[in-house]
Amino acid sequence: MSVGVLIIVIIIAVVGVYQWMTGTASAPRPAAATAAATGAATSSGASDEEGTASAPTPIAVREMARTKGYYIRWTVFVLFTAFLYGPLIVVMVLSFQGPDGGLTFPMQGTSIAWFREVFNPTFVGDFRAPFGRSLILAIVVMIITSFVAFLAGLAYRRGFAGSGAVFYLTVASLIVPSFLVSMGIGLGFTGLNMLASWWSAGLGAHLTWTLPFGVLIMLAIFARLDRSIEEAARDQGATPWQNLRHVVIPIVAPGLIAVALFGFTLSYDEYARTSLLTGQGNTMPVEMVAVTGTAARPSLYAIGTLTTVFSLAIIFLTFGILYAISRRRAGGLMGGGAVPEGEIYGTKLTGSAGTDQ
Amino acid sequence: MSEKKNGKGKMSVSRRSVLKGSAAAAGAAIGSGALTGFPTIWAQNIKNVTLRSVGSGVTHIPPYKAMAEEDLGFKLEFTVLDFIAIRTRGITQPRSFDMFEPTYNDFKKIWPTGNFQAVDSTRLKHWDEAIDLYKGPGKIWPDARYGEGQNPSTVQYTSAKDGKDLVKAGTSKWLTSVPSQHNADTLGYRPDLVGRKLDTWAELINPEWRNKVALQIFPEIAMMDLAMALEGAGKMTYVDKGNMTKAEIDKTFDFLFALKEQNHFRAFWTGFMESVNLMVSGEVVLQSMWSPAVTVARSMGVPAVYADLKEGYRSWTIGYMIPKHLSGIELDATYAFFDWLYEGRAGSLFARQGYYMPTPNRTKDFLSADEYGFWYEGKAASGDILDPGGNVLDRAGAVRDGGSYKNRMGNVAVWNSEFDEQTYLVDKWNKFQAG
Amino acid sequence: MQKLITLFNRHSAYFQVTPLMLILGAFLIVPLLVIFTYSFYEFTGYFTRPAFELTAWIRAFTLDITYLNYWATIKITAITWAITLVIGFTLAYFFVFDILTLRFKIFLFLLTVVPFWTSGVVRMIAWLPFLGKEGIVNSAIMGLGLSDQPLEFLIFSEFAVIMSYVHMFTLFMVAPLFNVMARIDRSLLEAARDQGSNNWQILTNIIIPLSRPGIIIGTIFVTALVASDFTAIRFLGGGKLGSVSMTIANQYNSVQFPFSAANGLLLLVVLLLFVGGMMRVVDIRKQL
Repeated sequence: MSVGVLIIVIIIAVVGVYQWMTGTASAPRPAAATAAATGAATSSGASDEEGTASAPTPIAVREMARTKGYYIRWTVFVLFTAFLYGPLIVVMVLSFQGPDGGLTFPMQGTSIAWFREVFNPTFVGDFRAPFGRSLILAIVVMIITSFVAFLAGLAYRRGFAGSGAVFYLTVASLIVPSFLVSMGIGLGFTGLNMLASWWSAGLGAHLTWTLPFGVLIMLAIFARLDRSIEEAARDQGATPWQNLRHVVIPIVAPGLIAVALFGFTLSYDEYARTSLLTGQGNTMPVEMVAVTGTAARPSLYAIGTLTTVFSLAIIFLTFGILYAISRRRAGGLMGGGAVPEGEIYGTKLTGSAGTDQ
Repeated sequence: MSEKKNGKGKMSVSRRSVLKGSAAAAGAAIGSGALTGFPTIWAQNIKNVTLRSVGSGVTHIPPYKAMAEEDLGFKLEFTVLDFIAIRTRGITQPRSFDMFEPTYNDFKKIWPTGNFQAVDSTRLKHWDEAIDLYKGPGKIWPDARYGEGQNPSTVQYTSAKDGKDLVKAGTSKWLTSVPSQHNADTLGYRPDLVGRKLDTWAELINPEWRNKVALQIFPEIAMMDLAMALEGAGKMTYVDKGNMTKAEIDKTFDFLFALKEQNHFRAFWTGFMESVNLMVSGEVVLQSMWSPAVTVARSMGVPAVYADLKEGYRSWTIGYMIPKHLSGIELDATYAFFDWLYEGRAGSLFARQGYYMPTPNRTKDFLSADEYGFWYEGKAASGDILDPGGNVLDRAGAVRDGGSYKNRMGNVAVWNSEFDEQTYLVDKWNKFQAG
Repeated sequence: MQKLITLFNRHSAYFQVTPLMLILGAFLIVPLLVIFTYSFYEFTGYFTRPAFELTAWIRAFTLDITYLNYWATIKITAITWAITLVIGFTLAYFFVFDILTLRFKIFLFLLTVVPFWTSGVVRMIAWLPFLGKEGIVNSAIMGLGLSDQPLEFLIFSEFAVIMSYVHMFTLFMVAPLFNVMARIDRSLLEAARDQGSNNWQILTNIIIPLSRPGIIIGTIFVTALVASDFTAIRFLGGGKLGSVSMTIANQYNSVQFPFSAANGLLLLVVLLLFVGGMMRVVDIRKQL
């Protein structure tokens, strides 16, 4: 249910990173994105204010940022974020529950006993094997999703008869109630007298969930990929393969990373579609639900805390890599920050500079 | 091609060794872990066996697995699922495990599928010592209550190895399952918040506890608890609370709807942990509960009590079923496992969590006198009572809620059951939730 | 060989889309056909056996549970939709127009996404200590003297279920809205302002109409997610609430496979009709 990842990926991949990277997208872009692109191109540490101080400031942008609505929206954002964090805070606090404490308040002292329990299970379920399974499954799902979504993206770029039908099928895959997928695959395996397991039936079920997102993101990325770049390459005598290898893949790479990240997380946390299909080995979420049927203790929260910290590490790593790529790209494509003045759309950003920092 | 041959060769070796092995198995002492007396090949081969077992979080816990592996010499893989999932798996994907441990009240749904093979009771070393609950009498002691609903003995026997039917207990040597744990369920409550001792199921519908009561979300169980309460309060009588007629279901639901209107129920819980959470966090003061859940709540510093109610208990039992695909040395391994199960060491592990196993006399050998007195005889503990993890469950002087084995299991009002009218019941239940 | 390559190149799109089709075919279409088959099987009261009968479908259309359930589901979906739309629109607007540097946008997004990295199962459990009688929220309310009784409707209620949906699904509304808003041409806004439009007019006459595709896509996401949820409604509804999916899950759990299959397919058809209707209004493919 780490649906949030979806959000971050769609937004950052589709709108952000691409423009951030190239700074040359042909579609009209939000002022901020261009501004950031410029910022990134000039110097990483320097604030946008310094970087482009001389650029003209669109009045509309500045004034809209200062109305009463502006503060209301900030309030909504802060309150909503606080609301989002509520359960997470509970998880983190209670993962330090004392050794005699339970899954709810009151706290019975504090300890790190439950973190120890995760790594060295004594009484309640052993999470190590399910974790391994979920990790392997998530990686496999990630690879297949990226690959298949990328190919589908290429296909849509060329166009083919029946593309509409395939598109609607993909959307349908997103809409079909997850329980139905799980049940159908399970009964199907039974009918074929095949053994459903997390790496066969489970994998298929995960793909019906990750692929639609992957394909939609790839379509969005390809829709923003300027055909003229490919045409130019072709004019210069590039074979289709060279074109793919040296032109298309490098440009859609951030989108691919996004799809991969997405596939990984959706798979790692997937419960409803997997619940009936794990066969002999539970995946992590299925195992967690299973142990709630027993004397589950705050080690569950310790796992939650660890997962969050682990994911944060991954997200920072990914963004580090994306950023490094974008730096390199910025240097290569735009000649070290030489952005034509005309490309800068709305940059001075005086209005928000204060709040930004 | 050559690979195939090799495979066949191996198989024939194991077949032969299995035949020898099973002949020897009958007399071998497995519990000690010493495999002397077994033909070497069998002993070697069975070490390579891995039995994949699926059960609830009640039993499939790491210390159990470690204990069994240590004594038996082969490997076990435990998968934890809730009872509903175990049943569904048993029906739709029986090949995914080598042993299933469902509840007896699911047997009428699982057994007719023909997915499982019967267990030969004459091959079970300790079946003779098992309590009479699972045999002809259907009760542990002659003077015990037989209980309404589906008595375990009624689903214990089948006519043949591949039988799909259920026959009268004791008329065949074929068992549908090897019973493992049983226990008596009742209401758990918070004496600190209730303020007095509760002694009747009728308290469940006492308006005093409005919005502080929880039931289980499983329709049959919820119905039976409610029926205990309604009967206790003198508002209804049932022919069989464990197998209600449509009319009885209708009337019970009328009460249920009325109670929902009055916001009587705080929640309907799905799993063990949820019930503990509800009690520890003060959400409810009185609820349908499992015995070890009360124990866990108490270990968290909450003064929870497992009520000893005058109407009696709602009891349950679980057991191991073997799917059809199992044969050869793996099947032998399950028999070895069952023999070990009844040796007493496993029994002591579960006794310390409040459950009972079918061979209490052997369990006794692995418990201290004080422990046996506390868990089985209803005596006050002379020292601290520890759980299998070594944590203190009860201090010296404490007496088990409900008292002795006999007081609890001898007073079974109703067995967890599946109703013949379950389709009607589930429809009603859906309406109850939606309406 | 050369011919083969030419052939491949000419039809490469078909080869490229084949893996997608194979996977969706095997794990989506076939399973749905299996479920369709099961919906005609016979349920004996204890188990299911192959047959051809319409019992499950007749039940699905004639039992009053179906209508009660759809009413409950539509009600919860509509409320959730309205709340996620308002919050989602506000947040998308905030991200697009109020926050002007991309890096700050990313930072704020990360901030909203971090809570979702905790396992969904764990978060579900954490609602009780958060909203329960002795939970953080009630402690705060009583600590501040806002109430001397804990607020009991915070959990195990319709309120709690809707709240958890808002928690989980609002960002699904934000994403597509952000996507479309970010593409609104700023010169349009400037032009409007130059002509004397105030913020409210700009919002209602330009931004909202141009955001319509985002609203539609977000609506599809939220509707599909809410309608197929059976976990939050059980745990946060305290088992006291029903919905279409809840009944499907109950029936499946009682091994009434044919009933579950028929009701599940019915829900799918309803959802597809709804989404189909939405997609007639907006061509999603163009909006990507």
